Amino acid sequence: MSINFKKLEVKRALKSAVSFCFLGTLVGLASLMIGCKFQPGWGYNKGHAPEQPIPYSHELHVGKLGMQCQYCHNQVERSKHSNIPTLQTCMNCHMQVKTDSPHIQKMREAFDAGNSIEWKRVHMLPDHVQFNHSAHVTKGVNCQTCHGEIEKMEVVSQHADLSMGWCINCHRQEENKAPLNCTTCHH
Amino acid sequence: MSEIHHDHNEHDHQHDEAELAAKKAARPKIEKNQANHWLSIDQYMQDPEFQKTVETEFMSSPLREDEASNPWARREFLKLMGASMALSTASCIRRPVQKIVPYNKQPEEVTFGVPNFYTSTFFDGQEGLGVLIKTREGRPIKLESLETEPLTQGGTSIRAQAHVLSLYDLDRLTAPKKNLFNEKRTNKDTISVSWENADTAIVEALKKGGVYILTGNIVSPSTQAVVKDFSEGFKATHVAWEVLANEDVRKGQKASYGTDVLPFYRFDKSKMTVSIDADFLGTWIAPTVFTRQFSKTRKDFANMSRMVAFDSNYSLTGANADIRVRIKPSQQLKVAVAIAQELIVKQGKSSYAGNGEIKNWLNSFGNAAEGLHIEPALLKEIVKDLWAAQGESLIVAGGLKTQTETSAALQAVVNLLNSALGNDGKTVQHRRSITSSGSHSEMAALITAMKDKKVKTLIIHGINPAFALPAKSEFKDHLKNVETVVYIGDRMNETAMWANYVLPENHSMENWGDAEMVSGVYSIQQPAIKPMYDTQSMQITLMNWCFQAKVGPKRIQEFESYYDYLRNFWKTDIFPKVGKGGNFEKSWQELLQSGSVGEVADSDSARSFSVSSVTDLKKPAVSDGWELVLYPTSQLGDGAGSQANIGWIHELPDPITRAVWDNYASISMAAAKKLNVKQNSVIEITVGKDKMELPVLIQPGLQDDVIAIAIGYGRTHVGSVGNGIGKNVYELAQLAANGQIVFAGSKVDVKATGKKYELAQTQTHHSMEGRQIVVEATLKEYQTKKDHIIHKHPIWSVWSGHQYNGHKWGMAIDLNSCTGCSACVVACQSENNIPVVGKKYVMQGREMQWLRIDRYYTGNPEDAHAVFQPVMCQHCDNAPCETVCPVLATVHSSEGLNEMVYNRCVGTRYCSNNCPYKVRRFNWFNYAKKIAAPANMALNPDVGVRVRGVMEKCTFCVQRIKDGKNKAKLENRPLKDGEIKTACQTACPTDGIVFGDMNDPNSQVSKMFKNERSYALLEEWHAAPSVRYQAKIRNNGKDQIAASGAHEGGH
Repeated sequence: MSINFKKLEVKRALKSAVSFCFLGTLVGLASLMIGCKFQPGWGYNKGHAPEQPIPYSHELHVGKLGMQCQYCHNQVERSKHSNIPTLQTCMNCHMQVKTDSPHIQKMREAFDAGNSIEWKRVHMLPDHVQFNHSAHVTKGVNCQTCHGEIEKMEVVSQHADLSMGWCINCHRQEENKAPLNCTTCHH
Repeated sequence: MSEIHHDHNEHDHQHDEAELAAKKAARPKIEKNQANHWLSIDQYMQDPEFQKTVETEFMSSPLREDEASNPWARREFLKLMGASMALSTASCIRRPVQKIVPYNKQPEEVTFGVPNFYTSTFFDGQEGLGVLIKTREGRPIKLESLETEPLTQGGTSIRAQAHVLSLYDLDRLTAPKKNLFNEKRTNKDTISVSWENADTAIVEALKKGGVYILTGNIVSPSTQAVVKDFSEGFKATHVAWEVLANEDVRKGQKASYGTDVLPFYRFDKSKMTVSIDADFLGTWIAPTVFTRQFSKTRKDFANMSRMVAFDSNYSLTGANADIRVRIKPSQQLKVAVAIAQELIVKQGKSSYAGNGEIKNWLNSFGNAAEGLHIEPALLKEIVKDLWAAQGESLIVAGGLKTQTETSAALQAVVNLLNSALGNDGKTVQHRRSITSSGSHSEMAALITAMKDKKVKTLIIHGINPAFALPAKSEFKDHLKNVETVVYIGDRMNETAMWANYVLPENHSMENWGDAEMVSGVYSIQQPAIKPMYDTQSMQITLMNWCFQAKVGPKRIQEFESYYDYLRNFWKTDIFPKVGKGGNFEKSWQELLQSGSVGEVADSDSARSFSVSSVTDLKKPAVSDGWELVLYPTSQLGDGAGSQANIGWIHELPDPITRAVWDNYASISMAAAKKLNVKQNSVIEITVGKDKMELPVLIQPGLQDDVIAIAIGYGRTHVGSVGNGIGKNVYELAQLAANGQIVFAGSKVDVKATGKKYELAQTQTHHSMEGRQIVVEATLKEYQTKKDHIIHKHPIWSVWSGHQYNGHKWGMAIDLNSCTGCSACVVACQSENNIPVVGKKYVMQGREMQWLRIDRYYTGNPEDAHAVFQPVMCQHCDNAPCETVCPVLATVHSSEGLNEMVYNRCVGTRYCSNNCPYKVRRFNWFNYAKKIAAPANMALNPDVGVRVRGVMEKCTFCVQRIKDGKNKAKLENRPLKDGEIKTACQTACPTDGIVFGDMNDPNSQVSKMFKNERSYALLEEWHAAPSVRYQAKIRNNGKDQIAASGAHEGGH
């Protein structure tokens, strides 16, 4: 009799222990999920604004001075990549402009030595996405549509989450006449 | 028929049966293939083992095998999966930081993401093709065809397509090396040496005299000039040697006509071609050029040419012949004499009919046609056709298979025939001939000079005689007598191992150069990438030595680079010849744009034929018993160069045998029975004093005493990919009394060893059962029946089908044009980053090529004919694969493409299961991981690299479609037909593949689809493929394609 009782107790203890662990894991997982996974734009680097080796300010050059996007990012109209301007492009003006600034001098040194500047990439799509800038530019899509108000950014930050859903939302609008085939981007 | 038991009365039962019978009668019937196409020997022999493999689609996986022995394997796997899942949810790290490093100064020609194309030339020792090198961001990634090329007019070869991988070969020499030998040269140490030190030491040696320079066939006129200047400066003797040198043809031309040339054969001007063991479509001289020429004569059915091939092994030319006759090498001369007897003696035609000497000589052979497997009536007809096409016919003989002891006689009789038929000057062009040097006799003289210690310094460039010459030539033995051996090449190969100095040269894509394949047609070779390693062009190496020693004519000393020398040479020597002697810079820029100058000539005058070249010959003895045939494959060629280390080359299934990663002894079915061996049994072959063991491959269409083996295998020092593949059968070549090397016709002793060696073949894994897969008809049949050669299935559907309002992409494949050359397969592999899996997995059916070329045999095994069919994803409108994907990884695009989305695929493989064409390839392992740097530089950035667990298949080169559409959008104009070309289409030298918009009624594809010969695979299934084939037409004079001999109806 006593043995059975003990067994029952042990069983019950075990049962409650197991159910406690189970509940604990559930709560833990749930908090992890809510804390991280179900945040909007989780994992998409929205708002990513890395510090650059030279604090180039779009707000100054584009906002105040009114430079065109395609003056520097000139290949965007014919290539799938939007190119970061070469040092030569910067030196077009900065041979004479603000040559006393230590940042300009840093760039000048790199330019003279035949080196380059290692910018940190802000907008990054995964390898399985073949995005083509020129197709969008040809269609007349504004740079700001996807990249936000760059002319107001002192430090470039990722404005949209650039997820597939976000891209599809625009492609789905009938008036945009944009292709919805998978191989448009995935091949 | 299972019995259906009903609880009905009897009359109901009868009623049901009648109804059932009526229903069955109304079902679409599966038509048995009329022409009795069959796939493999095993299938034909109803081998029970084979029947079993036919039913299993996916061979057992190694994992499954492991499980059987180790029941814990699966548990471990699940454990690991569980752990990694837990880890992934626990992390929320940002993506790794990527840096963007722009240019310092923007190079003018580089736009990121937009490829640049450079005209250039690809030369592999035999054939030179004009190509376009496609580069991305300064690195070549693909070789494209060059449509302005006057010889090939677009189209490439297997080796040209694979060439890009040899640039990124890990086993290339990266810096000069010095080999330190002990006295007896039995041991060596390899150390690095700088260019300066090597040059100084070599110049010292050169100054001592006794210099010989040994090169391959040089078709580059400027390089010839460099070598000539170098030889002048150092009083060196230049020896040229190639394994596949066409010395016999040149000697025959010299004897018969007095001119030592390799004629430029014009198959495009020939209405009746007879080939005696000359594999002009596969490996002989310039196969891509000849394929283009030949295909031109096959498209106009009103004036279709006829080709007869007498074949010792089963060659590509034999497969594409209208009439193929199997012979053995010792019968080659008999064939030529039989034709001559029929024409000159029996039919009394041609100006030689009255020539007593010729007639007597021919008659001394008796009845030459006796013993050949050819009916007298057929021989008469062949000769009649030849005579009817005088001046427009062509008889060719040559290549490794004709290097018998009677090769000289064969060439003489062939020349006689061509002269008798008035072909000389018309289809046999001699004034504008093919640039060919390379002589076995010159090599023999060099070996003797080495033996006599006359050679103090030997410079070897590019070729590999230590591998490609049999040991009995004693090349390696006498090389030890040479004081200084310098090897200029791209790797430490079998010959370089014996050199004192090994100087790496630039890859052809890193080097300037030029080529004159056919006299008067000059093409340029441009570098497309800066030399990746510490290498130099061979030309500047020679120029440096002349400069340092201050010897040689002015031009070899005065220029600082080979580029300058080349430009000067073109300015003084080449441009004036082609009428562009005016503004040099303008001509040079135009040259770089178009890739070549000069045109192919139309015709020459006929030369006078020297009768004594024939009558002076002695009649050879006829032999009995087994005969050896050594032949080059179209993938490897002579196999002595860098192509042997390219994975794509070895993984490409041989067009005829479908075997990969090996060579083997091909014998006929009857021969196998006689020896009591089966496929994969190992036999021992004894030729003279040489023995070799090789596995057997049963090949229909061979004579029963022929053993055919491919050369170029058995490399020991080519690199990590190519070492140890197959056996080196150059050792079986024999030396004739006159010093000539005999590659065919040697007597052989064969015996079974009882061992087994499994060969990997790709085709025995697919089976198509008695359906209309390849349609073949004779010309007569086609002309009388027109579109009734195609069986049209009744197709009906309850659905109205997809609506395609924009483009609808389709592809037309002309089986009549396709020769089976397989350049398209390698082009697809290059364009789409398709991995190489290796022999073990090919044996399990896991080859990854998206495009395969099926080869079907017709008729009986003794005399089988072959047809080729390229098969890729058919992009079905009612795709069976799309409906079964549980994650919608394969969907249909609005333009008719069956899309494969790699990132969604979870690897169910249901799609491949459902595909009736079996064109889907699955990544069973992480094959992409095996692509080690720098080979990853050859990857096409526009196409994703697939990871393990993902299905892939032909995408109709969707990246090219996108590019084409974008380009048109950028330029604000509609898309033109022919603007978008798939990789397979551009690689094809016969225009056999045409891609385009089916919704455009004027597109070439639409026109081909409406063609009378057009049909689709498994049309009755109504998968509605977007790929349609055009039936093959054989101009063999017969009324229909009949299975001669035993007619085994279906299986």
